Amino acid sequence: MALVTTEFWAQGDFIARSVGIPDIPRVELPHPVAGSGVENMALVAGQTVPAIVAALRGSS
Amino acid sequence: MSATTHTHLTAADEAAAVEQLHELGCTDGLPVIVPTPERVERMVLATGYDADLVLGAMGPNLGECSIDKVATAAVMAGCLPDHAPVVVAAVRAVLDERFDLTEMQATTHAIAPLVVVNGPARDWCGLHGGFGALGPGFRANATIGRALRLTMINIGGGRAGTSDMALLGHPGKFTMCLAEDEANSPFDALHTECGFDPDQSAVTVLGVDSPQSVMINIDADDPDCADRMMRSFAAAFSNVAANNAALRGGQAALALNPDHASFLASNGWTKAQVRDQIVAEAVVSADRLAESASYLGRKPQPDWSLPCFERPEDLLVFVAGGGGLYSAAFPSWCAGPHRNQAVTVEIEVGQSCEIPGFA
Repeated sequence: MALVTTEFWAQGDFIARSVGIPDIPRVELPHPVAGSGVENMALVAGQTVPAIVAALRGSS
Repeated sequence: MSATTHTHLTAADEAAAVEQLHELGCTDGLPVIVPTPERVERMVLATGYDADLVLGAMGPNLGECSIDKVATAAVMAGCLPDHAPVVVAAVRAVLDERFDLTEMQATTHAIAPLVVVNGPARDWCGLHGGFGALGPGFRANATIGRALRLTMINIGGGRAGTSDMALLGHPGKFTMCLAEDEANSPFDALHTECGFDPDQSAVTVLGVDSPQSVMINIDADDPDCADRMMRSFAAAFSNVAANNAALRGGQAALALNPDHASFLASNGWTKAQVRDQIVAEAVVSADRLAESASYLGRKPQPDWSLPCFERPEDLLVFVAGGGGLYSAAFPSWCAGPHRNQAVTVEIEVGQSCEIPGFA
């Protein structure tokens, strides 16, 4: 399962196809996350957990 | 290995074909020569290899890099058949796993392959190593580098914003190829450091940033001038905003202009000594790095020693450009599994035959 920000979503699609795993589970994050501060990262994490759990369960 | 997939396009005329190639995203944004089957066939002949010979998989698309596809790129770029063996060698170099092409195409950093040609191929291709060698006006330089880029687009699949993630890029991503000016160099040619004989031809390819001018005011009356030169060159790589200082450990290149090279040689410096001294001087101040926003990971501590290069041989030194104030440093990326390594590949000549229609 991969976490990919919006800016790199298309690249994630491209790489997934090129390496033969187009359906690899991915969860989209807002961009940017890096360097956005602990408070914002915690907020993003909280908002994203359900999607991560769903992806890991194969239900996304 | 042999190539298996080909797509043949049709168009009403040359102009329509060029427009179609633009629309398909097969160009670098500039007009191309339409790769008709006849033109590609002649270029394949000039490589000396079978059309379906596969050189490897080119990332990030992992496209099958066959000779006919490379020849197609060479035609589109405007290469002459004489250029074909150099293009093939450059492609072989970037396909070497040490080059990390997949990662290089995908990085957000502005990095592009610099192609340095040594040996007799410089002459029979008409490659230029003097004034303005990386600028406009020199067909072999422009088209060979462009052909490599077109393989990276059309075989490797490197397209801005989806697979080539360079945030801004730089003009060297169109083409960045030159000859070492061996005739005006007092030093051994670059490829001989990799074990090639001077009469062999080779390309050395290294992923680099855009060239940074390094101003050197030679003063023959200053006994410390050569040492000062070393500090100036070292400063170009130890600038805290450069990856060579912030990440460290990759390879980089320095193009000495003939005046600078001659001055150093006449003062008893060998190329190895030049390289050793620059590498020794290229140490970033941990304090300065810590004060910047450029470090990644743990904040540098004052007692850290942060050399930009791990080994002297990680700085490639060659002679090129016109004589005058400026040499050029090529900072680099310093990332990827192999940390931004150069790859040198022999240009195989004698494989090709006379090409019908080309004098």
